This record gives sequence, C-alpha cells and structure tokens, in this order.
Amino acid sequence: MRPEAQALKGHLDVLLLAALADGPQHGYAIKEALREGSGGRFDLPTGTVYPALHRLERAELIAGSWSIVDGRRRRSYRLTDEGKRRLAGERANWREFARAVTGILERNPWPATS
Amino acid sequence: MAGHQLIDDYLAELARRLPADDVDELADGLEEAFQHYRQRGFPVTSAAAAATAEFGDPALITRAFVRRAPGRRAALALLASGPVFAALWGGSLISAHAWTWPIPHGATAAFGATLLVVVAALVAVALSTSYRRTRLAGPACGLLVLLDGGMLAAVALAAPALSWPMTLAIPASLVRIGLAARSIPRILVG
Repeated sequence: MRPEAQALKGHLDVLLLAALADGPQHGYAIKEALREGSGGRFDLPTGTVYPALHRLERAELIAGSWSIVDGRRRRSYRLTDEGKRRLAGERANWREFARAVTGILERNPWPATS
Repeated sequence: MAGHQLIDDYLAELARRLPADDVDELADGLEEAFQHYRQRGFPVTSAAAAATAEFGDPALITRAFVRRAPGRRAALALLASGPVFAALWGGSLISAHAWTWPIPHGATAAFGATLLVVVAALVAVALSTSYRRTRLAGPACGLLVLLDGGMLAAVALAAPALSWPMTLAIPASLVRIGLAARSIPRILVG
C-alpha cells in the first residue's frame, strides 16, 4: 500500500463525509474529490471507495439513492443529519489536534543540554 | 457501457464475485473513469486500460467488499461472543444438573451437531474471500436462533428450577435471538 493510502486509513470516513458536504455525489465523483482535494496525494484504488461508502450508509451517516443517468443505474449519496453532526464534530477535533501538533512541531528548536 | 472488451471483461469478472447492485454501481463509476480519460485525450483502448487500472484488481475490490459484508461482520461478532455464551450456558447446565433432565438423547445429539454446523459455517464465512459465501452467515444465524430457542424451551420445560447462571444466560440468549434474527435480511440481500 502506498504511504499516503496507509496514512489515509484512519481518516477515510471523515474525508468521505467531507466530500459530500457540498451536496450529493456518486462514488466516482467522491473519489475524484478526494484526489483533487488532496493535490493527488490520496489516490485510492477507486473500487475500494465503494465498500467504505456502503459502510457509512449502514451506519446511517450517509444515504444512497438510485437514479438513471445516460441509461445507466447510478447510486448517489448525501449526508444524513447524523452524518452532518459527525462531520462537524470530526472537523472540530481535527482542528484541535492539528493546532496541538503544529504547536509542538513548529516551535523553536530545543536548546542543547550539554 | 463504453463497449470496450477490456471493460466488459473486467465487469464480467466483478459480476462473478459481487452482488448485482454493487456491480451496477461499479460499472457506472468505471464508465465515468473511462470518459474522464477519453476527455483527456487518451485513445479508446488506453482509456479503458487506465480506467480499469484506476479501479484496481478485481480481487482487491472483492476483498474490500468482503471485509465489510454484513455476513462477515455478523460471523465475527457471533464467533467473538461465542465463548461468553458457552461459559454462561455451560455454567447454567452444570449448576442445574442438566444430565438429569428428561430430554431424549436424539434431541441432545441433534442440538450438538447443529451447533457444530453453525460454528463451522461462521468460521468459513469469517475466513472467506468470496462475497457470496458471506451469505452463509444468514442460514447460520437462522440455525442459531433455533438453537437459542431450543435451549430456552429446554430450560422452560425440563429444568426443575432456575439457577443463577441461567439468570444471565437466558437474557443473553434472548438478546442474541433478536440481533441474529434482525441481521438475517441484511445478510441475505447485502
């Protein structure tokens, strides 16, 4: 697995929720939003994004619905109210975490001890 | 679909492994990916190859679906909680001297054999790399409901009195009956 994909593992759910923040999307559009939003760093095998979406749907964080587009069946997803709440909470947690890590990583170098 | 043989073969491979709804969803995404590459100027064959490569190996996709299949999750949960139930019912039966209960030996043997079948089916589902095999968890859950029901009926009809381990085992089995029964439709259509 690529290092970026490995790093993404624990954060995939919230990133998928964030990709739906602006409105309903189908699976490929969500995957593209992740890739473009990360400047190409998070480029997962597309086929593996769908099971993650299904899991979020079973958890009732997103809701899927079928439509017909150009003669094909298309499943699109939207955030549920619970999904919106989870995304807002995760965003707040992330900001707090990032602020703490930045505070440590970007302060002046430690003075020499001897 | 784009009608390219490479994409058709890829989808046929997925159709052998995954439920029809999942394949339809993947097919739509694959068409989007194919058109995306065509718009970037890729020739048809290169666009089909790039789209299928972007989606990943069908075996990898299948594994990702299997990991999150409702049947596999149910099997793992039932196997993980199995030792707790074994301890609860084992303690209950020993404390109530169940070997003295008026239960036909044939019924006891059938119960034991069915339990072994259920455990074997759940282990097979937990280790499976085939999505279809994860649906075995549905019938296994059905049998488990019958086994729990049978145990509760045996206690109601044959146990001379309730022992304290039964006060834990009975509600635990009732909860498992409810959860297992509720998960069956999701497993069979998921």
